[in-house]
Amino acid sequence: MEKGQTKSHAGRRGFLTGTFVIASALLLWRAADLQIFSAPLLRQHGDARSVRDVAIAAHRGMIVDRNGEPLAISTPVSSVWVTPKEVPWRDARLAQLARVLEIEPAALRGAQEMRLQREFVYVKRQVTPDQAEMVSALRIPGVHLEREYKRYYPAGEIAAHVIGFTNVDDSGQEGMELAFDHWLRGEPGVKRVLKDRIGRTVQDIESIRPPAPGKLLELSIDRRLQYLAYRELKLAVAANGARGGSMVMLDPATGEVLAMAAQPSFNPNNRSGFKNEFYRNRPATDLFEPGSTLKPFTIAAALQSGRFTPATIIETGPGVMAVSNHFIRDIRDFGTIDVANVIRKSSNVGASRIALSLGPEPLWQMFRAVGFGRGTGSGFPGEATGQVQGFKHWSELELATAAFGYGISVTALQLAQAYAVIANEGVLRPVSLQKQSGRVPGQPVMPAAVAAQVRAMLETVVEPDGTGHRAAVRGYRVAGKTGTVHKAVAGGYAENRYLSLFAGFAPASAPRLVLVVMIDEPQMGEYYGGLVAAPVFARIMHSALRIFAVPPDDLPALEGRVVVAGQDASTL
Amino acid sequence: MSRFQARMAALVNRRAANRPQFDVWLIGTTMALVLLGLIMVASSSITVADRVHSQPLYFFWRQFFAAGVGIILAIAIIRIPLSIWERSSVPLLVCGSVLLVLVLIPGIGREVNGSMRWIGLGPVSLQSSEPVKLCVIAYLAGYLVRHGEKVRTGFAGFIRPIGVVTVIAGLLLLEPDYGAAVVVFATALGMLFMGGVPLSRYFAWVLTAVAALGSLAIISPYRLQRLTSFLNPWEDPFNSGFQLTQALIAFGRGEWFGVGLGSSVQKLFYLPEAHTDFLFAVLAEELGLAGSALVILAYFFIVWRSFVIAHVAEQAGKPFSAYLSYGIGLIIGLQAYINIGVNMGVLPTKGLTLPLISFGSNSMVISCALIALLLRVEFENHEVRRRQLPEAMTHYAA
Repeated sequence: MEKGQTKSHAGRRGFLTGTFVIASALLLWRAADLQIFSAPLLRQHGDARSVRDVAIAAHRGMIVDRNGEPLAISTPVSSVWVTPKEVPWRDARLAQLARVLEIEPAALRGAQEMRLQREFVYVKRQVTPDQAEMVSALRIPGVHLEREYKRYYPAGEIAAHVIGFTNVDDSGQEGMELAFDHWLRGEPGVKRVLKDRIGRTVQDIESIRPPAPGKLLELSIDRRLQYLAYRELKLAVAANGARGGSMVMLDPATGEVLAMAAQPSFNPNNRSGFKNEFYRNRPATDLFEPGSTLKPFTIAAALQSGRFTPATIIETGPGVMAVSNHFIRDIRDFGTIDVANVIRKSSNVGASRIALSLGPEPLWQMFRAVGFGRGTGSGFPGEATGQVQGFKHWSELELATAAFGYGISVTALQLAQAYAVIANEGVLRPVSLQKQSGRVPGQPVMPAAVAAQVRAMLETVVEPDGTGHRAAVRGYRVAGKTGTVHKAVAGGYAENRYLSLFAGFAPASAPRLVLVVMIDEPQMGEYYGGLVAAPVFARIMHSALRIFAVPPDDLPALEGRVVVAGQDASTL
Repeated sequence: MSRFQARMAALVNRRAANRPQFDVWLIGTTMALVLLGLIMVASSSITVADRVHSQPLYFFWRQFFAAGVGIILAIAIIRIPLSIWERSSVPLLVCGSVLLVLVLIPGIGREVNGSMRWIGLGPVSLQSSEPVKLCVIAYLAGYLVRHGEKVRTGFAGFIRPIGVVTVIAGLLLLEPDYGAAVVVFATALGMLFMGGVPLSRYFAWVLTAVAALGSLAIISPYRLQRLTSFLNPWEDPFNSGFQLTQALIAFGRGEWFGVGLGSSVQKLFYLPEAHTDFLFAVLAEELGLAGSALVILAYFFIVWRSFVIAHVAEQAGKPFSAYLSYGIGLIIGLQAYINIGVNMGVLPTKGLTLPLISFGSNSMVISCALIALLLRVEFENHEVRRRQLPEAMTHYAA
């Protein structure tokens, strides 16, 4: 009995041991199968779940002025995003999160409501490094940070219009940021990373493509000059209670824009609360009738025809003239004057008589030749080309009024480009907002002799008894032309709404800078271009000539004027 | 005899007379598994613990504490003569049953993830199913000693313990804790098998039970589907097959020697229960086939060792010790093999820990206690052998 029992137990124990041996063998075989034979397939499944290609943000190219001063910089920032279904929404830390991010707790709850549909919800874009640090210190599950770049504009509102701005996704929306978006835009890189199931990067595996940062954009703008010009424009607009204003300064030798400013402006670093209209770069986008500032081109057409010389006598009396039942008036009766004085005194009647005698075609050709009705070549987004109607349909009245700048529309930029032709011995150059190196080829559109004659006439405008004498800059010979334009409104011209203009260049002996100043609807009683725009012109030109270290060309006269200026100062 | 002479004699007769009192290999294997378990619990839980408890070693320190308690308990148990266990086997079962009933009473039992498995006792909590394993083994060993003849000859002697174990398993199913129920029931069947139940009766009964379970599965197809979804986890890898596919990926990533300790990817929230039921998958990922095979072999060694110890006890005329050892070997082996099988997708997913290794304080303490009992059996075998049965050593070596 005892023996038999032992034997049977031995057999049963053998059976159980055998069962475990077989089970062990099966488990070992299965382990080998999974870990060796099926490993590649399983690994592939695993990688499909945990290996991700992610973008590496590439920063946008910097925008600098002509001297390399930064105008737009990309700075690294963090954006906060959540995976809503992983966030413990009742956690007290969420209230802290809202406080750190300076957002309403309701905005956080908005993200919560999307939790079933979305894996990725931005809570706040582009937070400061301090905020990012505090967010990561809170260690809330499901709350993540993402590296991004934010555009920062050191010049702020000073150059806001020229540079424009980018949107939150770092893509150009306005201005040069938009025009050169492809140039400035960085190419994000790609890297392969290992992520845990809640989306956090655990380990970098390999770099697939390094990020290519955007390229540097060198503008033709001079930041110092831009600052001075902007300040003068802003002061003038405020002092005159004007609706707005524009200024643009060109280098006639290259067509480079050295400064371009508009009022009202905006802060590109914080655009909240600014209206869309503030974003308009008025010198390039806003059209207006140039008024008397167009007269030099009427005269240039007359001189080019050979039928007129600066000394040709024009009868402007009695200061009013009827054309097709409309009256063209001068501000007073200038009587019998020569062509040069038509410019100097800004006689509408004189300009009209010249135009009527010349006929529409030469006038039209001159306007087109100096760039009106065409793009300036600046490439600025939204630049207006203006309108110069075909001359074949011009009526007598249209011809007469076109002579003093009505019936055609231009931008301040076009006007500056056209004045650069006069300054530049008749050569038209495309306008450029990018820094130019070397000689810029131009196109002769006006005989150099004509340009020199017009230049001489424009110089007389700024003489002490000229309409634009307030545009004078001590030590320099300045040439220019005033303009006071009735604003066109629906059905005609407004009686009491004006544009005050001054366009010109200096030094007149060898022009280095062309400047156009336009003040929109001055409201403080004065509205003549010679009273409102000319002083702004003088102040900006004065600063610019010094910044560019332009040698004075009016030194003998300087001594005399110092005395005069001293007398002026004492009488003030 | 002077002390010196005694020492010299001991030295001379070292191999024959002064063999180690305790099974060094068993202790070594157990300690190795516990240590490996601590390392793996730390590695697999570190990210989850950091996220959930803001304390990377939260689970590690609990497991460390449990291992300490387990070892102290084991040292105590090694000093308790088995006769005390034999005498108190019935009261032990009663205690175990009371625990199983208590845990089902709301207010005493604590519900976690839809199961009533825990009794809170201040800072610690008791998982009723763990001590019950020990109680059932002790009870059955005692029963087989007291009613051995009836078990071998009559039907009543066989069906009575089956009835008791069915009630225990039923209580476990009420929690529900399917894994524990299966393990306890299968262990009981194994012990009865070793108790000498005639094979015809035994297998007739086992077949009936299997048929009953089978029909239950067919009656509720939902259960059957849940039970069989492990066969093809890739059919629905993001829902019912999620956990298993993630476990299989862990195995695949491991290859020969693993991705390295601490480098598991699957533990990074991909694999749910990475530090408890699916720790083996993380182990296989970090230590490769080399690690997983070693662990399987280690468990086989424990099972085999317990059977040898049981056999020696049998030879020494200590049937209680023998049955106890069979029960211990079976319950540790079954639980380990089922857990590993579940991890590798060859068995349906059940909530079972890997004894001695995966996270679980109660499981750790009870596993240590079971091994300690085994060591006590071995210890008492030596005493017997030293006194009267030198020829039994040949069997022991077998």
